[in-house]
Amino acid sequence: MTDVSVKDLGDDLAVPDPVQPKSRLRSVFARDRKAQVGLFIMLFFTLTAILAPLIAPYDPNEMTLDMMTNPSGTHWLGTDDLGRDLLSRIIWGTQISLFVGVSTVALALVGGVILGVVAGYYGGWIDNIIMRYIDLQWAFPNFIIAVYLVAVFGTGLLNVIVAISLAFLDDFARIARSMVLTLKEEQFVDAARVQGFSDARIMFRHILPNALAPLIVQATVSVSYAILGEASLSFLGLGVNPNTPTWGLILADGRSFISQAWWLGVYPGLAIMLVVLSINFVGDGLRDALDVRETGS
Amino acid sequence: MDDKDLIKRAEAELRDAYDFDPRDPLFGLKKDDMRGNKISRRTTLRLLAAGGALGMAQVLPGLRPTAAMAAAHGGGELNCAWAGVGEITTLDPAQIGQVLQFQIASNIYSGLMHIDNALVAQGDLAESWEVSEDGLEYTIKLREGVTFHNGDTFDAEDVVFTFNRSSDPDQSRHSRVIGNVAELQKLNDYEVKFVLKQPQASFLTKALERSSGRAMTIVSRGGLEALGLAQYGLTPIGTGPYKVVSHTLGQAVMLEKFADYYDPERPKLDKISIQPVDGVEPLAAAIEAGDIQYVGGNPVPTQLVSRFQENPDLAVDIKPGPGFQSIWISPWHEAMTVSDFNKPLEELKKEKGFMVRLAIAKALDRELFIKQGRFGYGVAAHGTINPAMGYFFDEGLAETSEQAFDPEGAKALMAEAGYPGGAGFPDLKLQTTPNTKRDGQVVANILKVVLGINVIVDPKDFSIGIEEFNKMDIDLRLGGSGGDYDPDDGLVDWMQTASKFNGPDRDPAAMPFGFFSESEADAAIDQQAVTADPAARRELVQKANAITSNKVACGFLYHPVDVLVHSTKVIVPEDARIPGLHELDRISLA
Amino acid sequence: MASYILRRLIGSLLVMLAVATLVFFMIRLVPGDPIAAMLADSGGPEAREALIRKLGLDKPVLVQFWKWFIAMLQGDLGNSIYGNNQPVTTILIEALPRTMSLAFLSFIIALVIAIPAGIISATRKNTATDTAVSLFAFLGLSMPDFWLAILLIIVFAANLQWLPAIGYVPLAEGFWPWLSHLILPSIAIGTGFSAIIARMIRSSMLEVMQADYMRTAASKGLTMRVQMLRHAFPNALIPVVTVIGIAFALLISGAVVVENVFAIKGLGRVLIQGIQNRDYPVVQGAVLVVSAFFVLSNLAVDLLYAVIDPRIRYS
Repeated sequence: MTDVSVKDLGDDLAVPDPVQPKSRLRSVFARDRKAQVGLFIMLFFTLTAILAPLIAPYDPNEMTLDMMTNPSGTHWLGTDDLGRDLLSRIIWGTQISLFVGVSTVALALVGGVILGVVAGYYGGWIDNIIMRYIDLQWAFPNFIIAVYLVAVFGTGLLNVIVAISLAFLDDFARIARSMVLTLKEEQFVDAARVQGFSDARIMFRHILPNALAPLIVQATVSVSYAILGEASLSFLGLGVNPNTPTWGLILADGRSFISQAWWLGVYPGLAIMLVVLSINFVGDGLRDALDVRETGS
Repeated sequence: MDDKDLIKRAEAELRDAYDFDPRDPLFGLKKDDMRGNKISRRTTLRLLAAGGALGMAQVLPGLRPTAAMAAAHGGGELNCAWAGVGEITTLDPAQIGQVLQFQIASNIYSGLMHIDNALVAQGDLAESWEVSEDGLEYTIKLREGVTFHNGDTFDAEDVVFTFNRSSDPDQSRHSRVIGNVAELQKLNDYEVKFVLKQPQASFLTKALERSSGRAMTIVSRGGLEALGLAQYGLTPIGTGPYKVVSHTLGQAVMLEKFADYYDPERPKLDKISIQPVDGVEPLAAAIEAGDIQYVGGNPVPTQLVSRFQENPDLAVDIKPGPGFQSIWISPWHEAMTVSDFNKPLEELKKEKGFMVRLAIAKALDRELFIKQGRFGYGVAAHGTINPAMGYFFDEGLAETSEQAFDPEGAKALMAEAGYPGGAGFPDLKLQTTPNTKRDGQVVANILKVVLGINVIVDPKDFSIGIEEFNKMDIDLRLGGSGGDYDPDDGLVDWMQTASKFNGPDRDPAAMPFGFFSESEADAAIDQQAVTADPAARRELVQKANAITSNKVACGFLYHPVDVLVHSTKVIVPEDARIPGLHELDRISLA
Repeated sequence: MASYILRRLIGSLLVMLAVATLVFFMIRLVPGDPIAAMLADSGGPEAREALIRKLGLDKPVLVQFWKWFIAMLQGDLGNSIYGNNQPVTTILIEALPRTMSLAFLSFIIALVIAIPAGIISATRKNTATDTAVSLFAFLGLSMPDFWLAILLIIVFAANLQWLPAIGYVPLAEGFWPWLSHLILPSIAIGTGFSAIIARMIRSSMLEVMQADYMRTAASKGLTMRVQMLRHAFPNALIPVVTVIGIAFALLISGAVVVENVFAIKGLGRVLIQGIQNRDYPVVQGAVLVVSAFFVLSNLAVDLLYAVIDPRIRYS
């Protein structure tokens, strides 16, 4: 079994070629149809989010007496139970979904990387303490952690972002740490140490850039989970402000009217699915390009 | 008999009922009236009046002629859904806190008395009774030959046991209901005597009644011992027409006809299942598919009502609902401060804080709210006195009240207060529960459209919300009351300075009163509570109601309606149709 | 080997204890007064005091913690402070089989979809079939489980009325009633999961097949195909073992929302309702159980790997 790599446990990843990852990216994207489609869809949603005020046909919060009308010429996706235009609500919802998706992962990435790199580089008791915490967090499904944090600290945009990013911290920390462990013994690190660079500089300017590949892949995976997580939290009533039209919230509110207005149950979910799908396509392309094995979650 | 005659007769009955000297321990009745095995309608009305529980809503139903019923068979199985709830948490009378639980328990247990829809008080577990001249001693002869569902015989020991249990605040949350009982004596195996501290008209009708008298709903000591407290709350044992066959929390309560029930005429059905159904769509699916034939529990979601009405297999019965919902406005918010409601209205209208308060109330487009928020089911409210209180309801108030919907007037007031078009007015938070979030959004929208102010809907779990409301830590709140059959339920419980909901946990140094305090209203409410003559009482009630309306005790929004939905195969006789209750032992299948 | 197992066991135990402590104190940070909510309309100050005393909430927090901790070690998780004060253990014992049934069925459905899908797309790599299967896998992966749940309800329960919309029936009351209530929620949860497994099977089979292919390049036709399948597939199952550990996380997380949609009172629902009711003992108990399962399943996976791959034992 020696020529087949053992299935990774997240602690044992193939070290990517530190030379020219960018050119590899470019070549793969040129060939990978799936990734192209994904990129295109992502671009489409991003533009929608940015241009929401311009392209939404109606005010997403404007209530009319045309309650639960079918999709038609005036309301392309129909109206909800308070007479609000569904299309406009979905367009505006893009903003929150993308914003939450990206910011939570950015935070988790930064936090997790710092923790993981420090733990891996220094080892010893620092490593021990940090790993104990990571293990503690590992004892929980991410989503349950997020639910719990939101229940304790309250709902709202900031709390949701913090809750989800805290929940994903352990994933990034583990990857960063194991990358550092593997790379620590490499020659270029010894060389840097001999040259007298500070620990921090070695950690973040020398080791980290070589560890980026699996982190990037994890980041794309996490963005899709973050978006799904935010939608689930909103659905449970634990999400962002109940007055902003996030996709999960539209689904939750529409639940009581499904048999009278099926469009309320179909379109918001479709939007979530498309965004997540596009991210998964792109993430898959990245993974192939950077030659990183699957880590599962 | 048409409506006018009906009301005339009802008013006559009310006048008679209220015609007594309150100092009379027997309330103008003779000892003979209060003894026996049945209490006539007239006597019951008198007792209810003396106990402060008599209004049009109680009188009218018994006067309506009952339609000839379709041939009712015995037997059959009924599947019920209890709406808006995920589980029937407890059926132990000492712990019951929700009406929907009581709706079920009243079919599993018996009380000593039972008052039917025609307001005739019959003995349930009491066979006959006698009241002493001074109105302090009630000697009750218990029915013999009654057994509990587990086979135990019912006797005086069980009454004593239930009484002791219910009087202990550590064991029962309804101990106050029997607070007036000095002692309960067991005379022999089938006779007990209640000795009261003071004469109490409502004793027979309230404290001992099967439906409302939770304190004296007879529990089984054998059952409690065998099952333990927690299990007893799930699968209780009583003496009622139905026994519990099985019940796991979150699952259906399965009831079966109790073969040894003392009344051979009841119950009619063999089996009943009561499935808690949380969620609107599952309820609609279940009843339209025919899986369910009867809906109880929390109110039927209004978006489904017209759909059910159009369904030829379903019967929908709508009655005026006993309750109100309002937008509560904090008089301590700096933009809406009103520190003294006792000033005459004209003077109040010159204060900026009151101007804003009145503007908000005037801006409430109640008809739009009912259409958009409640799908057309409801009645605009301008006071706590609701249509179910019949006689006392003031129909003219909708026109005359200062609060009546008047968008131009509202805008003018806001401008005068210094916020033309809402400019510069701070954002307000409107507290709701997760279930009433949608209603809150409709109100917030209305206020935005009319006044241009920004109202943010703030749904909070009930446990947090009630805490904040008690401390008056709110800007605006959407809330109200249900089960209000008598003016006291609305006025005394809510509108007086000392009312239990009026900011009981606030900081009295910072806030001299809760959400409202007006001395003329206080006085009128106190007086009407002890006024015997119905016409005089009505005047006082409507006077107090008008004050609370004109001086904006809160922004009154709407009165809900009581909707009963069931399959056309289910026969619900008129005497089993008591809004808020479900007398399952009188229901049958066609 | 033995010391490794021991170390992991003790580590897991410590983690669980830490979790229990953390949860105890954190849930009390949640704002909201459960007593006020329970007594909302009935009962005066005496009833409130009595209730507080009865639930032991009048003692200082540390004392409460100590009592709870000792009791927990003896298997007593306290009583729910809501409703009729059922013992938490009872609530969890009733909830567990529901979530387990759901997880079990979801897992089966996931495997039933994923194994053939994964094998097909690996053996027909880069053909139209592969693309189609991959696409379905991606769709399944990207669908929010609660959305799929709602769609299933719209189609199968509301419109076709083939299956019930909500609720749970214990196995004891009949196989079909039990199954019929669980089919829709299991599909909702299992679909996303099947996508993950399918892709894992595909990619690891491809890895193995590539290695085998290189070595057996000379053989052609059926022999090669059979050889590939016989050797590749078992090796391909190894990564699936990892997934079992993650499976539980995904299934529980999925269950939280799906149980909500289908009103099934499993662990997820108990947890959410406990949080909403500020029912401290229930939340503590539920979180403890969830983390116990998770820790144990991770432990099992790690130990399994230690058996399979000696390198790991000494890390």
